[in-house]
Amino acid sequence: MPSFNTVGKRVPKLDAADKATGRSRYIQDLKLPGMLFGRILYSKYAHARIVKIDASKARALPGVRAVLTGEDIPEIKMGVYKDNRPLKKGKVRSYRDEIAAVAAVDPQTAREALELIDVVYDPLPAVFDPEAAMQEGAPLVHEAHQTNVLRMPWKLHYGDVEAARREAAFTVSERFTTTWVTHCCMGTSGAIAEFDPGNNLTIHSNTQIPSLAQKEFLEALAAMGLPDRRVRVIKPCIGGGFGSKLDTYAYEYIAILLAYHTRRPVKIEFDRTEEFIATSARQPTITTISQGCDRNGKLLFRDVKMILDNGAYTSWGATTPSVMMMPITTLYRVPNVRYEASCVYTNNTYSQAMRGYGNPQATFAIESTIDMLAEAAGIEPLEFRRINANQPGDVSTQGLRITTCGLAECMEAVKAQLGWEQSRSRGEGVGIASLIHVGGGARVYKSDGCGAMLKMDDFGKVDIFTGATDMGQGSDTVIAQIVAEELGLNIEDIHVIHSDTDVCPWDVGAHASRTTFVAGNAALGAARKIKSRILEMAAKELYAPLEKLVLGRRHIQHVDEPDRRVEIGKLLRKAHFSHGGQMLMAESFYDPANENMGKDFRGNMSMTYTFGVHGVRVKVDEETGKVKVLNYVAAHDVGRAINPMLLEGQVYGGVMMGLGYALSEQVIMERGENMNPNFRDYKILTARDVVPIAAPVLETPDKDGPYGAKGIGEPGCVPTAPAVANAIYNAVGVRIKDLPITPERVLAAIRAKKGMDLCGRKTGTDSGEACVIEE
Amino acid sequence: MSKEITFTFNGNRMTARVEDHWTLLHFIREELGYTGTKEGCGSGECGACTVIVDGAAVNSCLYLTVELDGRSLMTIEGLAAADGSLHPLQKAFVEHGGIQCGFCSPGMILSAKALLDENPAASDEDIRTAIAGNLCRCTGYIQIIDSIKSVRGEAPEGPRVVAWRDEER
Amino acid sequence: MRNFTYLVPRSLNEAISMHESRRGRAKYIAGGTDVLVKMKEGKLAPDGLISLRHIIGQDRPFLNTETGELYIGAFMTHRSIERSPLVQHRYPVLHDAVKNIGSVQIRNVATIGGNLVNAVPSADGAIPLIALDGKAHIYGAKGYRLIDLARFFLGPGQCDLQGAEILTEIIIPPLSPRTGGAYVKHGRREAMELPMLGVGVLLSLEADLTTCAKARVCLGVAAPTPFRAREAEAYLTGRPVTEETLSEAGRIAAGESRVRDSIRGVAWYRREMVGVLVKRMGMLALERAKKRNE
Ligand SMILES: Cc1cc2nc3c(=O)[nH]c(=O)nc-3n(C[C@H](O)[C@H](O)[C@H](O)COP(=O)(O)OP(=O)(O)OC[C@H]3O[C@@H](n4cnc5c(N)ncnc54)[C@H](O)[C@@H]3O)c2cc1C
Ligand code: FES
Ligand code: FES
Repeated sequence: MPSFNTVGKRVPKLDAADKATGRSRYIQDLKLPGMLFGRILYSKYAHARIVKIDASKARALPGVRAVLTGEDIPEIKMGVYKDNRPLKKGKVRSYRDEIAAVAAVDPQTAREALELIDVVYDPLPAVFDPEAAMQEGAPLVHEAHQTNVLRMPWKLHYGDVEAARREAAFTVSERFTTTWVTHCCMGTSGAIAEFDPGNNLTIHSNTQIPSLAQKEFLEALAAMGLPDRRVRVIKPCIGGGFGSKLDTYAYEYIAILLAYHTRRPVKIEFDRTEEFIATSARQPTITTISQGCDRNGKLLFRDVKMILDNGAYTSWGATTPSVMMMPITTLYRVPNVRYEASCVYTNNTYSQAMRGYGNPQATFAIESTIDMLAEAAGIEPLEFRRINANQPGDVSTQGLRITTCGLAECMEAVKAQLGWEQSRSRGEGVGIASLIHVGGGARVYKSDGCGAMLKMDDFGKVDIFTGATDMGQGSDTVIAQIVAEELGLNIEDIHVIHSDTDVCPWDVGAHASRTTFVAGNAALGAARKIKSRILEMAAKELYAPLEKLVLGRRHIQHVDEPDRRVEIGKLLRKAHFSHGGQMLMAESFYDPANENMGKDFRGNMSMTYTFGVHGVRVKVDEETGKVKVLNYVAAHDVGRAINPMLLEGQVYGGVMMGLGYALSEQVIMERGENMNPNFRDYKILTARDVVPIAAPVLETPDKDGPYGAKGIGEPGCVPTAPAVANAIYNAVGVRIKDLPITPERVLAAIRAKKGMDLCGRKTGTDSGEACVIEE
Repeated sequence: MSKEITFTFNGNRMTARVEDHWTLLHFIREELGYTGTKEGCGSGECGACTVIVDGAAVNSCLYLTVELDGRSLMTIEGLAAADGSLHPLQKAFVEHGGIQCGFCSPGMILSAKALLDENPAASDEDIRTAIAGNLCRCTGYIQIIDSIKSVRGEAPEGPRVVAWRDEER
Repeated sequence: MRNFTYLVPRSLNEAISMHESRRGRAKYIAGGTDVLVKMKEGKLAPDGLISLRHIIGQDRPFLNTETGELYIGAFMTHRSIERSPLVQHRYPVLHDAVKNIGSVQIRNVATIGGNLVNAVPSADGAIPLIALDGKAHIYGAKGYRLIDLARFFLGPGQCDLQGAEILTEIIIPPLSPRTGGAYVKHGRREAMELPMLGVGVLLSLEADLTTCAKARVCLGVAAPTPFRAREAEAYLTGRPVTEETLSEAGRIAAGESRVRDSIRGVAWYRREMVGVLVKRMGMLALERAKKRNE
């Protein structure tokens, strides 16, 4: 292993001290002079015509500065499918539909004003089940669209699945479902919008996509009759992202509209209930899958059909099938693959991207059936996976090129650290599931690039301006480490500026676990330019040939004569203050060679892929159905761990989120209404639920990654649910195919397996008394 | 209605006129202007608003300011030393990865402080119990627990690179 | 939260006269963890809150060594009960319950009295206190009265307190010899759970350490109020305490419960869990009873 100064070290996050002392400012903490407080009125129906809105009483309330309804605003189209607008007009399509908004001098007045708005609705028949919504004659969520099925052609077929099915010695077919879970960022959503006299907009917003947001806000201004203006997006410190901030949202546009109408800064800040109700959740899916293998356990085909509950509008989340294609075609070697996904409008809340971007849903179905197939073929599950593991140099049917791949080693690590073969007590079981994820960004937009600008001051200190967004994952720190390593500086010498589109270059956004890889490469590019200039300057200063010079900590020296050296700061001052002086500045834009998917969805989506294997040991309480996780091992092939501490943090956080997805979390939606918009009943895990997690890393330095690194932001929560489901099967012989795996579901399955009804009696026996399920 | 109360705020005696219906969270953030104390839910369920009153961790979102009369309040701003140097717990959170987005951190650190002040030899179980009311979505708690343990005098285990394979070709 | 007047009486009488003079427009507040949440949600908007925090009372559970009675002040926080060595060692059924209410932050302010008066079917504090045959000591304009906690709960959110009455104390009668008890709340997470089901069992054994002399089987969230499964108790009394008899008691208790479907759990599952958990808490109670005899 090569040795580094900064890369590979457990460097604390640059902003950690600010956060530990309460100095960091989140949107909740920002106040501008003269600022008003905006609040939004939401629909009382899942589907209804808006007959009349009377806001006169609200307008008359002292302290109210503006009231807006759908009728008062221009045609601003939102979302990838442009099927949403900030305030609804004509009809509402879900409970979270924004109907009106107010700006008032304080939050309390804004709340009171909302209560004074009278809305008359005419309820419409609604549809909440995506399968029902696909039927002929189902209520249409968007009449103009004529069908509830989105016209997004997620469909591929490589090889010949039917032929392979006939050939297969063993085949399994199953149906899996997943439900809504939500990001639960501890810091709620919010934005402050403000116009200058020239109608240029400044918006402070919690966003993962400053540059794309800037573009969308510019479009909104154009729709408002303000073309050719400037938009400045400033990101405060963000209290968690996980995909939730990957779109622009109604509340941001509403803040903009209110600010424009009042000529004052307007802040909208969600309370927790609103955060649960009015932000988007992970797409629920219904997956039918079959996989088959030959006598020796070699996979022959995978056939997947999926229905996604899009909800009433369309966010970036509707493009998750493009990412699901990756595990479906390329998790293990599969010669024949077919996949078809339909995103379906319903009158539920609209879904969104969330950590893993569809991958957890797909992997749940794939890895559960892999275990079933292994059993059918009579092959030990780990061995079955080893037989089919991807290898470096593979090109999958979809055209994904595997450069580095440590799947097999990850399996070994899990096997050893979990005690795979260790004896198990009654009710105990082990399970395993693997993952593939994009490790070098993913081209979901025209550009997958990120810019970086670097300047050095007279004292050898660096300011690096990056397009990347740090939501807490620590990308600033990783970028600083890369720059420090390249320039032979200490981490304290690097200052990362990432929060303002006025000073930072373009970036497509913090998604697809891409920041380390893409923003890291951009920063590295700029640093390399600076480095070569410093070396040139040093060569002159030391009268030494370039190739004889090396960077040390804050200085440059001659390789053979360590005494021939010059401090970088001194070198820079000399360059600056001499006649015809110069300052050191450089820029770089890095757009990875990730390919756009072609018409048949072939194309190398990412320059590199991250692999991982998770193993879990559980104990199932056969009387209560409760599943206790005893031990968890999450092994990942990360290319290079630039900062092992932050990397582990991503894995631990991802695994705990994944365990919530597997076992405890669920947005309970009853006829489109969120029944548990609070932390009491939406159960994210607590510190008491923490399980022992080992996070071994395998390094397979990738030639394209900065110092060999690949992305690791999302993988932690990808294979968790199937690993748990497989362990439960191993423990008590029941297969749970629906998330979350609640004690009720486990117990019901155990009972069914024993041939009992839910009340524990043998089915078919006549006990005289009915088993009452509902009361 | 309003009342005059006298209390100690981060070590300093002070007197203030407060409205009866103000929560302590509102008072700290909006009236005193200290924003290190966060609101994550407003109903006692997340712990982001945790402060220490008379040595005990409480949710400031469910605590009335009038009840502060005669008591002593500590917020995250009062934890570092006068010269700005970090409290050992803050330092531990920084060094052991106990902080990601940081929104839960002030409350988390204060819950840990209340625990260790009372029981410097707290067990792992005590630690998990003490912060069970502080939700964190980023870290999975593991490095937070490590951070607190390190103040108790144990260094958490380091990283584990299980294999290294150079595939550059 | 709307504005209100916060009143700070120093005695029970002062509190009661403050309450009466406001004719139902004021509410008592102890820890405030129920009242303030309801006010924030707009479910409650009293003109005044009368604090019970400054009325001088006991600060920890007190055992009268002559009578064997345990006194628990209603204004005591869950935390102070949880930390009482007396409760930990002699009344584990109560300790099991209070140590898992909410979080440390909640337990530092929330009171046992508030938990009882709030009277939700899931009140964790209620079940063990009923199992211990606790009596509510109530003070009002007409003086004191004492009622069995088992009769204190009238419906969801309703208890037997009239007008300005204040719950001042819970009195636990002397424990029979060879008594053990245990409580569990059933939920999905290990903390911060409102129980899907709460089960408390208290058993007193005969000198043979096998036969049940007295049994209490108390359930939360299994009916509109916390309640005693009296048929199950009667079944156990006089029988040897074994896994089999406890299972049967569990089945009987399940039959006595009136469980419902809610977002926190479905009825069939709740009923099944009554059976399982009565058995388990019974076994634990048995073990603890034997241990106390050593
Ligand atoms: C995040 C969170 C978690 C929780 N977890 C749990 C849990 O796990 N288990 C559980 O059982 N509960 C739980 N609760 C509910 C609550 O904390 C408890 O019920 C608590 O014991 C209430 O006590 P309090 O002193 O805060 O009551 P308050 O809110 O002050 O009062 C509650 C009610 O009782 C009245 N009152 C209070 N004391 C008296 C008295 N002595 N005489 C007459 N009337 C009185 C008040 O007027 C009010 O109507 C939780 C609450 C929150 C916010
Ligand atoms: S804000 Fe107080 S507990 Fe969440
Ligand atoms: S660090 Fe983000 S919530 Fe804890």
